[in-house]
Amino acid sequence: MASAIRLEGTAVPRPTWRHAYLTMTGWDLAGLRLELPLIVVVQILSGIGFVLGIGLFFQRIPAQVALYVSTGVVVLNLILVGLIVGPQNTADQKLAGTYEYLRALPVPATAAAGAWFTVALIASLPAAVVSLVIAELRYGISFTITPSIVPAVLLTAFTGTMLGYALSHAIDDPMRTRLIAQMLVFFVFGFSPILYPASQQPPWLATISWWLPFEHMATIVRAGLTTGVVSGIGRSYLIVAIWGIVGTALSARAVGRRA
Amino acid sequence: MNAADVARVPGPGLGASGAPRSGPLRWFRSVGLMLRFDAGRAREWAAMMAIVQVMMGAGMAITYGFFYPVITPLVALYIVTGTPTLALIPLGLVMVPIGVSQQKVEGTFDFIWSLPAPRTAQAASTFLLWTALSIPGLLVAVAISAWRYGVTLTVTPAIVPAVLLCALMAISVGFGMALAIQNPIIVNLITNMLVFVVLLFSPIVYPISYLPTWLADVARFLPFYAMAQVVRAALTTGIVTDLAHWYGVVIAWTAIGWGLTAWVVGRRR
Repeated sequence: MASAIRLEGTAVPRPTWRHAYLTMTGWDLAGLRLELPLIVVVQILSGIGFVLGIGLFFQRIPAQVALYVSTGVVVLNLILVGLIVGPQNTADQKLAGTYEYLRALPVPATAAAGAWFTVALIASLPAAVVSLVIAELRYGISFTITPSIVPAVLLTAFTGTMLGYALSHAIDDPMRTRLIAQMLVFFVFGFSPILYPASQQPPWLATISWWLPFEHMATIVRAGLTTGVVSGIGRSYLIVAIWGIVGTALSARAVGRRA
Repeated sequence: MNAADVARVPGPGLGASGAPRSGPLRWFRSVGLMLRFDAGRAREWAAMMAIVQVMMGAGMAITYGFFYPVITPLVALYIVTGTPTLALIPLGLVMVPIGVSQQKVEGTFDFIWSLPAPRTAQAASTFLLWTALSIPGLLVAVAISAWRYGVTLTVTPAIVPAVLLCALMAISVGFGMALAIQNPIIVNLITNMLVFVVLLFSPIVYPISYLPTWLADVARFLPFYAMAQVVRAALTTGIVTDLAHWYGVVIAWTAIGWGLTAWVVGRRR
């Protein structure tokens, strides 16, 4: 009688979520060790560039315009890493074969995503702070920072990162990922009412903008930095959160499916 | 030796095919041949280039308008007449250098240099072809921009030399820069930074009087404001003064681009 074959190996304990998260954060930081300082510097410079550059469009910049630009730049700083650098980085990993290797690691998908969110925040926050300081110096705006800035910043960065994460994992072809990421930058920079109120867009474009997360990200961040400028904050939180959930769901579907 | 053999012997100064081996005739013939060669390769990317130009030119023009709470006729006029310049700067400063970098990486660049055509003729062909290809995208961008802002332009014949010269200048500077800097990654970095700085800090879509004095002085020296002035003069009356000076600045920068190109193609590696 043939005995059942028993496979035995050394039992390797599964890493805890916390351990996996910390290891993956370390991995992501190490993987970007050359690019990260450059990304931070480019973010800071582009933030300063927008704050100072838009001021030149006017003989004398209206206070409202200055306020919108300086608070909007924070949003751009918060989402660009997640939305652009993330997909680019994943595209590189796919080409190098690192992507398959990472997916084979015994790391919960949520820990990997959480780690990338942390890294995106680390790369974004310095620029956001510098942009605000420069705006304060240049335009003499005194921001009224309220505690709601914390959830606003976290939710904005989270939604931006998860949308980028979904983009990078759901699309197989790295070149297409890159192209879509580039188009997204163009659209977000040019046609989203982040640096200016939506009322300055043609009505049809403003309607589209209303359904997208970017205008609402600006609203909630602005609400955390000013008083009496924006309204409808609860609705904006809801829309950004919905987009964050959509991004997470799409990412989960893409990461969870078997190749 | 019969008569037919005699006829096949090239005359003095002529190559085996009967073409001149030196002199201006050969140079012009080489430019023509290189143009055919370059145009054949351009079929792959010319349409894409026009699309990017329209997106950048018209897109930037529309975007600038969003920043103004009220768009006065003067603001609209400045933006619309700045659009041709907006459509040319990314072309010269980004697409040309990227094209050259790509050629260097692929080895096409060395192949072209190895062709039996004078390198100045090769460069001339590049300048001519890119200048011609830059026009369709530019026209579409201006049409979109004028339609968006409801501005009727008074187009004068001066627009032809103005646009051609500005296109030539942007391409020459971009080409010279891409040739002079060896590392493609550094070229890429510089061009991206440059385009960002230029599009935000150059008085292309607004009057130069908005700039602080020191920045206005820098802008007067650089080619971008001069470009905008030359083009604007051909589309408006009474806004641009001292036109000859701005033509001079654009021509000077074209010469700098050519000088850089000549310096690089003239030295041996």
